[in-house]
Amino acid sequence: MNTEKVIFAFFIILALSLNFGFFIGEFTNPDHHHPYELFGALVVSLICTIMKFGDRTQFGSTVLASSLVVDIQLIAAALTWGYATQGAIGGEINPRTMASIVSLAGGALIANLLSVILLIIETGQIRR
Amino acid sequence: MSDIFFLVLRRLRTPLILLIVVYAIATFGMTLIPGLDPDGQPWKMSFFHAFYFVSFMGTTIGFGEIPYPFTDAQRVWVLICIYTSVIAWLYAIGNMLRLLQDETFQNALARGSFERSIRRIDQTFYIICGYGETGLLINRGLSELGLQTVVIDYNAESTLSIELQDLATVPIVLNADATEPQSLIAAGINNSHCGGVIAVTAHDHVNLEVAVASKLLEPQTPVICRSEIEDEAENMASFGTNKTINPYLIFAQRLNLLAHKPSLHRVQNWFINQHNAKHINEEIAQQGLPKGRWVLCGYGRLGKAIQASFDSDEGELIIVDANYQDQETDASTNLIQGRGTEADTLNQAGIKDASVIIAATNDDANNLSILITARQLNSKLVTIGRVCKPGDHSLFIKAGCDYIIRSSQIVANEVLTYISRPLVTNFLRYSNTLSQLETEDLIHRISKVTGDKPPVTWRLILNKKNAPALARYIESGGSLSIDNITHNEQLPKADCIPLLLLRNNLSQLLPDKETPLQLDDELLVCGKRYNINLIQLMSHNEELIDSLINQNTHQIPLVRWLSRRQKN
Repeated sequence: MNTEKVIFAFFIILALSLNFGFFIGEFTNPDHHHPYELFGALVVSLICTIMKFGDRTQFGSTVLASSLVVDIQLIAAALTWGYATQGAIGGEINPRTMASIVSLAGGALIANLLSVILLIIETGQIRR
Repeated sequence: MSDIFFLVLRRLRTPLILLIVVYAIATFGMTLIPGLDPDGQPWKMSFFHAFYFVSFMGTTIGFGEIPYPFTDAQRVWVLICIYTSVIAWLYAIGNMLRLLQDETFQNALARGSFERSIRRIDQTFYIICGYGETGLLINRGLSELGLQTVVIDYNAESTLSIELQDLATVPIVLNADATEPQSLIAAGINNSHCGGVIAVTAHDHVNLEVAVASKLLEPQTPVICRSEIEDEAENMASFGTNKTINPYLIFAQRLNLLAHKPSLHRVQNWFINQHNAKHINEEIAQQGLPKGRWVLCGYGRLGKAIQASFDSDEGELIIVDANYQDQETDASTNLIQGRGTEADTLNQAGIKDASVIIAATNDDANNLSILITARQLNSKLVTIGRVCKPGDHSLFIKAGCDYIIRSSQIVANEVLTYISRPLVTNFLRYSNTLSQLETEDLIHRISKVTGDKPPVTWRLILNKKNAPALARYIESGGSLSIDNITHNEQLPKADCIPLLLLRNNLSQLLPDKETPLQLDDELLVCGKRYNINLIQLMSHNEELIDSLINQNTHQIPLVRWLSRRQKN
């Protein structure tokens, strides 16, 4: 067992789980989507990205790419959230903004899923 | 470039993750701990505010406690965060600085910039393997011609001096083993602009390896090798090395020429040493070497080459060498054991009646000592000395040495002539067929143009690219003889002497001046240094051609100006 591999797999799957946790719920209902979950997903995804830095294998670069997609999507979601809740606009998040935040997170979810699938494929290759 | 990028990212993985974790925890903590707004109501920081606060706290900018003054609980958390984030930053910056000093990183940087400069080359360039004295001379010569060079040398110290030289085109330096094919590929041997590989390291075998590798990697690229050993030279030639240069053989041939055909030696010397410091006594160059008894001190590779080319019918060659026993020679050779630095040995060699002394050992101090001692014993001696270290050249001049042998200079001249003046190489090769009378006539004609100064050569390539006006003139049916473009009454200062005509790969030595020129002919001429010759003027100037050949008057400022100057 390789500790580094465990940690990496852990972070990739954690990113997917947190992302999913934030995504699930009624689409436009702010009560169903907690900012802490978004924050957690973003931080874990950033860590994943950095862990894949400098890996020049084909697999590594694809995971890095999908990880970057997750980062961009989640940062966009976080920025939208921050913009929508600023005092000058009213501080209340409306269903429409919530919908766009959740759909951004949904996009990130797909990319995260892809990372996990790639991880599984790589594991399978090693066994063979 | 991408190498460096990924190297940096890989090395900075841990510090970056640490920073993210510290920031995430700090931000998260800030959002959890309740504060009080001015009205005394409990208030929780949003992620945006928390991240904003942590950002300026972590970088120790410190805008203060915003938006409202913190509670004690918040301050405790901030206190923890400040120290953690500062430590994380110190760790990250320390890592970055260490990376900058890291040798791997430096190498990657250097390689990156080297590869970039190779890729950017958009003109013909030459790869020089070995940056010793010869490499330095060749590099300087090519640089003066405006040619780009790539220097490969294992020794980083010797290439450091390149930066200190005032070179017109700065060479690209690669500190690597030239025998590694990888270095040659990195130096751009596969690049379409690569004009050739010049192997001039001090070791024949290294040169051989470079030649083999180059020929296998890129058979079309010309390879020029320095070779001081016959076997290696033959080996090099056997797989298509374009030119092997043995300085000792070349020098022995030139010495032979100077002894037998001094005027031809003089002509050749003009064209070989176009930019060199004086290395031969003017009087000796004109009169040639005296016949009679020659004393040769030092029986190494140079000594053997001189002996081989020495014509024993015309004189006597006495060889003085310290390691007499080691040498295998035939019985007919006159060998005397000794270093030649002391009067005894020289007297034994009959220095009193000798006409020439050649100091050819591989030690500058010994050579100088031989020359000075010999001069004291016989003041009429012609002295020939071999310089090994470049710095000692001035000592030989001070010692009054008549002919100075510098093998690096010989190699560099050969290489430069071969590369930049191919027609001169042809001229030198065929000029051996000139008779004494023809040679003296040529000297006379050149001296008349240049005023006894060494001439410079110039090559005309008669095509649309290099001489558009002349090419158009011929295409339109005009007839052009060599005389038309080398001599004109109206512009006597622009006269030049035709030396060689190359047509369909056939060289014609000293072509007749009535020979009509055709398209794609190449003509080698020589003229006075710093003077623009007639061909250069006519190559691009149709009006000038018209007025000089057809006698049509044009108002050409240049002609007017030149003719006015002539009258004054």
